Amino acid sequence: MKLVQGNEAAVMGALAGGLDFYAGYPITPATEIMEQLSRILPSRGGVFIQMEDELAALGAVIGAAWGGMRAMTATSGPGFSLMQEHIGYAAMTQTPCVVIDSQRIGPSTGQPTMPAQGDVMQARWGSHGDRAALVLTASSVKDVFDMTRQAFIWAQDYRLPVIVLLDAVLSHMRENVELPPVPGPMTRQNAQIPENQPPFGSHPFQPFSDSTRTIVSGLSHDEDGMTQGSIGHQAEQIIRNQMADLDRDYSQIVQYRRYQLDDAKWAIVAYGITARAARAAVHLLRESGIRVGLLELMTLWPFPEKTVQEMAHVVHGLLIPELNLGQIVLPLKAAVCGLTPVFFMGRADGELFQPEEIAERIVRLDQKDVGVSTLIGRD
Amino acid sequence: MPNQFSSPDPLGIRLSGRGGQGIILGGVIIAQAAMYDGLFVVHTQSYGPEARLGSSKSEVVVSHFEISFPEVVNADVFLCLSREAYLKYHRHVSTSAVSIIDDLIATEDSLPNEIFLPLRRTARSLNNEMTANIVGIGALIALAHAAQPVSVEKAIREWVKPQFLDVNLMALEAGLSLIHHKSVRG
Repeated sequence: MKLVQGNEAAVMGALAGGLDFYAGYPITPATEIMEQLSRILPSRGGVFIQMEDELAALGAVIGAAWGGMRAMTATSGPGFSLMQEHIGYAAMTQTPCVVIDSQRIGPSTGQPTMPAQGDVMQARWGSHGDRAALVLTASSVKDVFDMTRQAFIWAQDYRLPVIVLLDAVLSHMRENVELPPVPGPMTRQNAQIPENQPPFGSHPFQPFSDSTRTIVSGLSHDEDGMTQGSIGHQAEQIIRNQMADLDRDYSQIVQYRRYQLDDAKWAIVAYGITARAARAAVHLLRESGIRVGLLELMTLWPFPEKTVQEMAHVVHGLLIPELNLGQIVLPLKAAVCGLTPVFFMGRADGELFQPEEIAERIVRLDQKDVGVSTLIGRD
Repeated sequence: MPNQFSSPDPLGIRLSGRGGQGIILGGVIIAQAAMYDGLFVVHTQSYGPEARLGSSKSEVVVSHFEISFPEVVNADVFLCLSREAYLKYHRHVSTSAVSIIDDLIATEDSLPNEIFLPLRRTARSLNNEMTANIVGIGALIALAHAAQPVSVEKAIREWVKPQFLDVNLMALEAGLSLIHHKSVRG
């Protein structure tokens, strides 16, 4: 058992996922990730580079991945905005890499030390064009470790830039947790490449080697990386196939926690640090006899539509608290399809929701609901 | 006063002061000590963009059970080292809270539960005002039993730089003594 900080858990999770290359530009509240890796990586034969800015940081990460390394960068909102061009480039070039974004209040410089959940839509749609997206989040120090480690596995499996969303509180929060020891540097051998295996499309990622010649370009290309000719439909097909891979593996990828939902009349949907307040609110409400449960989202994209829909059939309503002015509520409403009312509470002032605030909102909904039910003679 | 405080579960501790007074380190030390006592802990920190000055706040939640909400709403134990932090936080405490306030802070509206102790003055007598946080923690654990003194000592040994270890251990001892041997302005 150790007292571990969220950012430290991200470092340990990344090393457990095989990280051996980090390029970044320091920014609060993600700086500790970079600071620790600047000491750890060189001492175990890895590479650490402080770049001139965030554009260059993700550029270096993408290059390192093609050089055969497991690569990551970490940033916060302002840096994440700068990285959007290269997130698109990583998607177009099917480059496995991990980007951690510890969210703080924005837009722009905002409040560097205060938490937010304002980057969740940017994580999905920030880069231009269409792409398959994997975006994970966490609500505890243990989660940060697990999700960062998982991000490396999925980056490799699906050949995507995988994004892990933290926030200023979680990054700086310390909890006592049991984490597995950090493994030693991994020696990786390049898998045998079947002859003439195309470098792109639905094929395992193969970094540059002596025996291959690969053109990596952000231009639309076919499976061989060729950019000439009429290849629009082939490029589209590569993206469609990546999306189909995520659809195929939906049930393994989509992760969530159901908490006291079995008999729930009301469901709270929350993610990240806000899920902690929501869980405490469930305790408070259950003590006063209100049947409420929590669906904690751990993968934001792909969005857990099926789980939400199943839940929407049985509850009287959903409440989603977010540290933004209305983002995940949009895909939530789309998934609910009008089956049950969706209520939203948001704030973007750098403070967390307190459990009592969430509980009060549910109490008000419940009182109103009981009133209406009495009027129309429903249970 | 020392024996009147019965510790709620979860116990919410808030340390506050100016940036540079070791408020965040103080919280980490309490969290580490409570962890050594076998409890669940969560430590959170809040500070401004400045490296020094500005207000700084550090919170520890301690419980026998897994902790849901990581921050403290109304503190059960409150330690304050600066006037700015006092004005900001001293009313955000629970009804039975123990509030330990540095006695150099000028106050007009102090609450009945507030205990004024010479935290910074004691630290100065050790020739290191930076140890006021540890003096405060000594007083805090003597009054509110948030962690065992031996666990706090172990946590100080783990978190404080070797060149400042001795003075911080002396500060802990001095803080404990403030409660055990002296009458306090209440």
